[in-house]
Amino acid sequence: MPELLPQRDLVVVGAGPVGLFATYYAGFRGLDVALVDAQSGPGGQITALYPGKLIHDVPGFPAVTGADLVAGLVTQAEEYSPAVLYDTEVLGIHACGGVIEVTMSGDRVLRTGTVLLATGVGGIRPRPLPFGGEWYGRGLSYVVSDNEEHRGHNVVVVGGGDSALDWALQLRPVASSVTIVHRRRAFRAQRSLLERASREGIRILTEAEVVAISGNERVREITVLASDGSIEVMPAETVIGALGMRSSPTPLIAWGIEVDHRRAIVDSHMQTAVPGIFAAGDGATYPGKVALIVAGFGEAATAVNNVAVYLDPEAELMPGHSTDPELTPPDHAPRGGA
Amino acid sequence: MTYVIGKECIDAKDRSCVDVCPVDCIYDGKRKNYINPAECIDCGECEVACPELAIFPLRRAKGNLEREQFAADNAAFFRESLPSRDQPLGDPGGASTAGPLGADTSFVQSFPS
Repeated sequence: MPELLPQRDLVVVGAGPVGLFATYYAGFRGLDVALVDAQSGPGGQITALYPGKLIHDVPGFPAVTGADLVAGLVTQAEEYSPAVLYDTEVLGIHACGGVIEVTMSGDRVLRTGTVLLATGVGGIRPRPLPFGGEWYGRGLSYVVSDNEEHRGHNVVVVGGGDSALDWALQLRPVASSVTIVHRRRAFRAQRSLLERASREGIRILTEAEVVAISGNERVREITVLASDGSIEVMPAETVIGALGMRSSPTPLIAWGIEVDHRRAIVDSHMQTAVPGIFAAGDGATYPGKVALIVAGFGEAATAVNNVAVYLDPEAELMPGHSTDPELTPPDHAPRGGA
Repeated sequence: MTYVIGKECIDAKDRSCVDVCPVDCIYDGKRKNYINPAECIDCGECEVACPELAIFPLRRAKGNLEREQFAADNAAFFRESLPSRDQPLGDPGGASTAGPLGADTSFVQSFPS
C-alpha cells in the first residue's frame, strides 16, 4: 500500500526560484502547501547549472549570485513552515472529483485541492555515461554522498569539468587510487584544481575514453581506449560519471496537460486545461510569454492568488498588501515553526 | 538572452558544446553548429567548453558587426528554410532527436573553406 501523506490545499512541483516564491506566497495566503522537488535541495536550474553566476535582472538587486538569490528565496519560503519534500520525483498527477492525487517516488501519495507546476525546463539530472547503465548502484554513481563507501577503492572519475575534479579530490584521501578519464585534451575545470590533482597523485588520462565496464556483482574493472588506439584495463571498484547535467522534459502530456513546445499552456489565471492544475515559470506558456525569473515571480503570485479563489470562491483574488501590519496570517499559519 | 556560436566554429565543429548543453539546444549543421535561441536557457556551459572560443553571449555581440551577423544567423538557421529543406526547422526541442542536419545557412556557406 502506498503511504498516504496529509492532504494539502496546494502542491508546488519544483523548488526552483518560481516554486520557492510560490511556496512563500501560498503561505502568505493562508494555504496549506507542500513543495516537492526531485533534486536533493532547492534552487532548480540555478543550483544545478550556475550558482556562482551574477544575475542582473532581479528587481532590487543590481547583481545577485544564483546561490544568494536561492538562499533568500528559501528563507522567505520557510516563513509559513511549508512541508518540503526533496529527493522526491512526481510520477503522476490525477484529477478526480475535485481532489488531485499526486503520486511520488518512494511509493507515496499526496492528495491536494490544487497543483502548481513550477517545473521549468524539466528535471535536471546528471548526464548518464553513454553505456554501462546496468552498473548504476553497483559501483557506478553520479554523486558522492558518503566518502566511506569508497574507502580502499580504485576510483575512476569520468569527465573534465569542475565537478570531476571536485569528486576526485574529495575521494583522494580515502581511495586506494584515483584516476580521471577525460575525452578531450583540454579541461574545463579550473587550473588550480588541476594543479592540486596532480600534486595529490591523481592520475589524469586525457584524450581517453572508458569503453567498457566489467565485474561480477559489482564493478571490478574498466577498459580505457586512448586516442593512439592503445587499450588499458585497470581495476576500479568505483566509477563516477561527472559529465555535467541534462534536463529531461516534464511528462506534462501524460498528466493530461495541453502543451506547446513542451510547456504547459495556461490562461490568464495561470491555470492549465485541467481544472485545479496551474503552472508558472519557464514550464508555462501563453501568448507573449517571456521566460525570465522575474516574469516567473509575477506568474507565481498570479497563480497562487487564483488558486486561493479556486479553492474558496468566496475568497478575494487580491490578497491585500504584505506591508499591512493588520494583515494577520490565518490560524494555521505559521504551523510547527517553533 | 541566449548564447551564439561564431565564425571560429566553421569547419572546426569540435562539438564539446554539444556534450555539455543541458537542454540539447545546439544543432549540428554541415560546417558549423548553431544554438537555437528559443531553446537556450542562457546557462553558459557551452562558452567555457568551446576550445575554439567560438561562443559568446548575445549581450557581447552589440557593436561588433561580425558577432551581430552570427547572432542573427544562429536564429535564421531555425527560422528560414535551409537548402534542401522545404520547411524551416523551427524549435524541434532537442538536437539529438533532430540529428545531423547536413546543411548551413547561406551566410555560413559563403565563408571560404
